[in-house]
Amino acid sequence: MALADFVKQLDELAAQAVQAFGSAANAEALEAARVEFLGAKQGRLKAAQKGMGEIDKTDRPAAGKRFNEVKEQIEAAFKAASERAASAPAAAKKSEPQFDPTVPGTAIRLGRLHPITQTIEELKDIMGRLGFSVADGPEVEDEWHNFEALNIPREHPARDPLDNFYLAAAGKTSGAGAALLRSQTSTVQIRVMEKTPPPIRIICLGRVYRPDTADATHYPMFHQMEGLLIDTRVTMADLKSVLRLFAASYLGRDVNIRFRPSFFPFTEPSVEADFHWDGQWIEFGGAGMVDPNVLQAVGYDPEKVVGFAFGLGIERLCMRRHGITDIREFYKNDVRFLHQF
Amino acid sequence: MLVSWKWLQDYVALKMSPAELAERLAMAGLNHEDSRPLGDDLQIDLEVTSNRPDCLGHIGVAREVAVLWQTGLCVPTPQPAVTGPAVSGLTKVAIECPGLCYRYTARVLQGVQIGPSPPWLVDRLATIGIPTINNVVDVTNYVMMECGQPLHAFDFARLAGPEIIVREARPGELFQAINHKSYPLEAGMCVIADAQRAVALGGVMGGADTEVAESTRDVLIEAADFAPLSIRTTARKLVLHSPSSYRFERGVDPRGIDWASRRCCELILQLAGGQLAEGVVSVGQGIPVREPIVLRLSQLPRIIGIEIPADEVRRILAALGCQDTARDTRSLTVVPPSWRRDLSREIDLIEEVARVYGYDRIPEDVGVPMAPSHRSDEDRVLGKVRQVLLCAGFDEAITTSVVPEELVAVFSPWTDAPALHTSTPMLKGADRLRKSLIPSLLEVRRVNESLGNPVIELFETARVYLPAADGLPHEQRTLAIVSGGDYHRVKGVVEGLLATLRPGTRLEAVDTRQPLLDPLKSSELRIQGQCLGYLGELSVEGWKQTGLRAGATIAEIRLSDLVGLADLIPKYAEQSPYPVIDRDLNLIVDESVRWAALEATVQQSAGECLESLGYQETYRDPKKDGAGKKRLLFSITLRSGERTLTNEEADLIRQQVVDACKRDHGAVLLGGS
Repeated sequence: MALADFVKQLDELAAQAVQAFGSAANAEALEAARVEFLGAKQGRLKAAQKGMGEIDKTDRPAAGKRFNEVKEQIEAAFKAASERAASAPAAAKKSEPQFDPTVPGTAIRLGRLHPITQTIEELKDIMGRLGFSVADGPEVEDEWHNFEALNIPREHPARDPLDNFYLAAAGKTSGAGAALLRSQTSTVQIRVMEKTPPPIRIICLGRVYRPDTADATHYPMFHQMEGLLIDTRVTMADLKSVLRLFAASYLGRDVNIRFRPSFFPFTEPSVEADFHWDGQWIEFGGAGMVDPNVLQAVGYDPEKVVGFAFGLGIERLCMRRHGITDIREFYKNDVRFLHQF
Repeated sequence: MLVSWKWLQDYVALKMSPAELAERLAMAGLNHEDSRPLGDDLQIDLEVTSNRPDCLGHIGVAREVAVLWQTGLCVPTPQPAVTGPAVSGLTKVAIECPGLCYRYTARVLQGVQIGPSPPWLVDRLATIGIPTINNVVDVTNYVMMECGQPLHAFDFARLAGPEIIVREARPGELFQAINHKSYPLEAGMCVIADAQRAVALGGVMGGADTEVAESTRDVLIEAADFAPLSIRTTARKLVLHSPSSYRFERGVDPRGIDWASRRCCELILQLAGGQLAEGVVSVGQGIPVREPIVLRLSQLPRIIGIEIPADEVRRILAALGCQDTARDTRSLTVVPPSWRRDLSREIDLIEEVARVYGYDRIPEDVGVPMAPSHRSDEDRVLGKVRQVLLCAGFDEAITTSVVPEELVAVFSPWTDAPALHTSTPMLKGADRLRKSLIPSLLEVRRVNESLGNPVIELFETARVYLPAADGLPHEQRTLAIVSGGDYHRVKGVVEGLLATLRPGTRLEAVDTRQPLLDPLKSSELRIQGQCLGYLGELSVEGWKQTGLRAGATIAEIRLSDLVGLADLIPKYAEQSPYPVIDRDLNLIVDESVRWAALEATVQQSAGECLESLGYQETYRDPKKDGAGKKRLLFSITLRSGERTLTNEEADLIRQQVVDACKRDHGAVLLGGS
């Protein structure tokens, strides 16, 4: 017999033996399998050993080595199976109920946080580590906080009634103009600065409202994060560095930040900030140095303090991270959607 | 703003590649949207921010290029040949609404020959997507796209009388625009009129009656300045936006008006012949005088964070068109150019210098000082609340703050005041600021039912808007729960919340009547007599009204109360080392006896050794106990802080409890006497 055939025969034998020992349900079955494969007289291993005589003399040492390996393998499988049988409870007889560890565990239902909340919490966490505390303000605002103090004068296009959710007549407020649903979280900057002397390091996260027709990328209600840092010595280099720390923390890897000039009434200079990721520049949000008019509006002296602000859309961030393609999914609250995150 | 690569080269040399041009312009403020080849030219689409109307013409963009590449800018000086009579003898202009039209100028050309434009002009306009009409109209468009000043040409013969009147529109006045649509006008809109009717909607669109056509011989060229706000409102109301209104909304160069008028006449003479009348009719405000601005060089590093050499600062400002009027070692004083109305303060100059110098030179690795940050109590409590609800199997929903009127009426436990409403609806029919989160969550439950989702357990934390007598509404932070489980499932969740925030808090359930809820299975929840919120199962009518397929239980709770209640830094208390003794009780009482009443009696009568009192179940066996009776099963856990209690002491306490319950509630111990 050729060595190759002999080895093949041995391997088949080993596989069958391991299978037989593994599936033996009780001690009797195991004993029967032992006799079949390892029996001293009639065992199949013994029979296989006899085949060695027919091997070419030169191949014999190799055949012997292989035989010993297979023998050890079969004996080990038997030993493991007998130990398993020995440790099983005596009562585990065929006819009696048996413990089945493969049945699923007792189900617990855990709820899920909305993906927007998960994103907000992560942003709060990152900004908290950078020394920014969370501030809060009303969602129904007056024109002073939503526009005037933010250097958005009456004739500015952003104040067009068609671009805002003004409250109907009943919502008039005393002194500070008509009331409206805030169109940006920057309102909170004003509220915080009005009652707190510098230095200030805050973020504000929350709902904002703009009359957009709902489609895959627009919704009339969405969430923003706004950051503000005011101190005696703050520059655009600090802004760039903070945004870089923030982006690197969020993405888990160091990134570069790029500024492109832009225009916002409440910052000057104003920039769009991008971060470099996977070989391309990705829009991050708007930022800039707080406009001196804004500092003046809250009673700060722009000659003494200076600061930066930045803002970004939470939905966009969350959609990009999870590959969500339709913003309306967030507000449909399909339980199957919520359980994906 | 669409720009032609070839056209730009009339004013500035383009030695860079188109890609380089687009990149550098984007980094200086003109975002590159797209570029596409058209014929032998290249159309470049640039995004111009609303503060930079000076870049709404090729010369403005060329100026940016010249500044960035430090190269020369060549702006033509129009010198139209004057061969006609004095214009003052031909036409007159009156502005009746100086608030809507700041300035109006008119020139007149006689004997022009209307025809097609030459190929070079056709090509240039085609590159930037403007259709060609005839040589005169095309020239007005060309000059607008050259310098950003809109122009309009009237067929002079078709004006009723020689006089131009700029006035406010009469309410209801109809205007036939060049697009041959008719527009009803309103007060506040500015029209250009002749003796009889409106012949143009000032700054927005010309009129059909006086448009320049093949038969036209004499033309009046209008170059004017209109009030941006009025132009925007007009264009928006009539849904009539034009390249002209786009530019007037953002403001035009007051000094550029006359340049554009002369340039326009020069090109018409060149392409259509005719004679230009001598002079210009110009009425309205003069050109505003620009105040000089002082730029302190020390402000540059203060704001930008880097030093910029003084020579470089001067070069940039000069190239942008600023006139240097004074300088010393620490500052320079400049007068900004007429086309840059956005430059009026020092900070404006700082931005200009910085963006041209390059934001890429600002470092991104400066050491920002560390600062402490504090997590607010509200945030911490909210975190705990969410944790409990997630563990209890509830998913968080986020729903919109503004809802339809019919949803507001469904459930409003916090106030009877009518909901505030927005003047424009947020989504279809939704214009009420909600006073409760429950209707929104019930709606989400309904949607999930229709999707066939088997388990729908929802909560939301958001604000409700409670109208205030004066000023802004009270925005109450609120937690709402909507569950498919029963009253006691949701009550258990609320109790779990309280136990997490402050162990030992007793939740009181007081009868209440709320629309939507089953009166027998709904309660006002209180803590020490103070209302915390509402809990209840929907009544059958309630769940049918909300379109649900089956019942549900709701709870709504004031979050600020939970914040006030929470013990965020609990204090250690030593635990008794002595063993505990339990006693079970099974008392037969009348149906009318409520657990809370019995519980109070047990607590009072068991004394200070009562460690805890555990309700087990309510059981009814009318055969043995008689009708109208129930059994309350509970256990008491006893422990002393000073010694080991004996069985006899425990039995004695148990007896005290049984006696008190008998006395106060007529309770009978099962199997006892």
